[in-house]
Amino acid sequence: MTRIIDFHTHLDERWLHVKCDSAADMVRTLDRFEVEAACVFTIMGFYEPCPAHNDALLRRADQYPDRLIPFATVDPKQGRAAADELERCLANPRFRGVKFHPWLQAFAASMLRDTMLDVLQIAARHRVPVLLHDGTPPYSTTYQVANLARWSPETTIVLGHAGSADYVDAAAQLMRDIPNLYGCYCGPRAGDLRRLLDLAGPEKILFGSDFGAAGWRLLPERIDNVLEAGLTDQQLELILAGNAARLLKLDERPLAQPLLPHREEAR
Amino acid sequence: MSRAASIIDAHAMLGEETYLSLTASELLRRMDAAGVSTALARPLGAGLIVDNRAGNDLVLSAGPRIRGLVSANPWWGDRGLAELDRCREVGAVGMFLDPLRQGFFPTEPAPVPFYERAQQYDWPIVFRTGAYVFADVLAVVEVARRFPTIQFVAGFGGFADMWFEIADAIGSVPNLHLDASLLWSDGIEEIIKRFGAQRVLFGSAEPRNRYAAALRTLDRLELSTAEQEAIFHGNATRIFHLEPLR
Repeated sequence: MTRIIDFHTHLDERWLHVKCDSAADMVRTLDRFEVEAACVFTIMGFYEPCPAHNDALLRRADQYPDRLIPFATVDPKQGRAAADELERCLANPRFRGVKFHPWLQAFAASMLRDTMLDVLQIAARHRVPVLLHDGTPPYSTTYQVANLARWSPETTIVLGHAGSADYVDAAAQLMRDIPNLYGCYCGPRAGDLRRLLDLAGPEKILFGSDFGAAGWRLLPERIDNVLEAGLTDQQLELILAGNAARLLKLDERPLAQPLLPHREEAR
Repeated sequence: MSRAASIIDAHAMLGEETYLSLTASELLRRMDAAGVSTALARPLGAGLIVDNRAGNDLVLSAGPRIRGLVSANPWWGDRGLAELDRCREVGAVGMFLDPLRQGFFPTEPAPVPFYERAQQYDWPIVFRTGAYVFADVLAVVEVARRFPTIQFVAGFGGFADMWFEIADAIGSVPNLHLDASLLWSDGIEEIIKRFGAQRVLFGSAEPRNRYAAALRTLDRLELSTAEQEAIFHGNATRIFHLEPLR
């Protein structure tokens, strides 16, 4: 079995009224399914002011700096303040990416073009990827997200669900045609993965589970979706870990080891 | 963990559509490998959307272990109804409608004669659900209210982004059931806990999904023997009027 890096998870106290797993719970699940590290995103930060949620996410992830990789979230509806918040977060090298959820954050990037361009340019300058939820109208269609990669060719843009339920063929074509557009295989099924591979190639696909937003079982379900697609060992290595390691620059900047032994997060 | 002695797949697909392709012989091979005894298959692509006779012939000629869920685009009107009549004569076990691909609102007038024909034949109707606008699962609930004697199945279970509606949708009418093929295990578990295992059918969504992945999703729920029997074969046998196990 190849190594696994999960490029799409959520680590928060709750999702609306539903309590979420703690950092300790999440790492136990990663251990159980032999996942070496996970990119972690907020959930409530999509609904509420981002700075406090970025700080809370960092505190949670910092309990396991060798396993949990926080992505910052900003609200582009706030204009200049969004760019400032992203600069603040990315000044800390623990943040290795940016996450948007335009559907839940309620914005169409085309209505906020100047701010989005600023944010994308900041991400490019810090050499971190920007992952956006895709597959859901009216703010997060796969075409809308892919457009951002055309606006800012210097920025690495990741389709958060590689087309999700209904846009897989579109995702595959766009990932093939746009050099800086990648797809997080998080939700589509084995038959869809074959299409993504055939058109976009194994170097453009990253494994993600979305677990943390739902319970632990989502992680093995989504690993199954990869393993049942009949891939070669080389394809598996790239999709399950190699591409993520490259975009996260893990060779250049390995994850920090914990300064103190891991402690259980108070719940 | 052990599974039910017999497994009926309530939602497989035959034919070709964009990048998906599956023949009857390949489906049988996959069924054998997974221990699936019977699959209910509906057409893909042009056979589903425009050339219904070709699509229906494909699923109806694949038997005896593959049973036909046939379709006629409601916009064909009387020609579509005649196609359903023909399919009944050659052994169809139910109707499949894809409002997204076939281009209709479940609540508009065009499909109503098709629902009436299903009612006349005592056929269940499997709707594709999930994508917004045409395939809204809440539209299927409205149809289920109007036709309380027809059994409906929410194909794909609202996957992906109507997942937050599917449980309440199943609970709001007694004649709507879940095809568990693409919904994640937490969503399936919620429906079983709130409304009972009799409301859930095992489906594979082959060739989009794989049997092994769909079966392991249900295995992780650690179902009781009675729940397994209901989900893996009992509910499909009852709803689609299949021959009972011997």
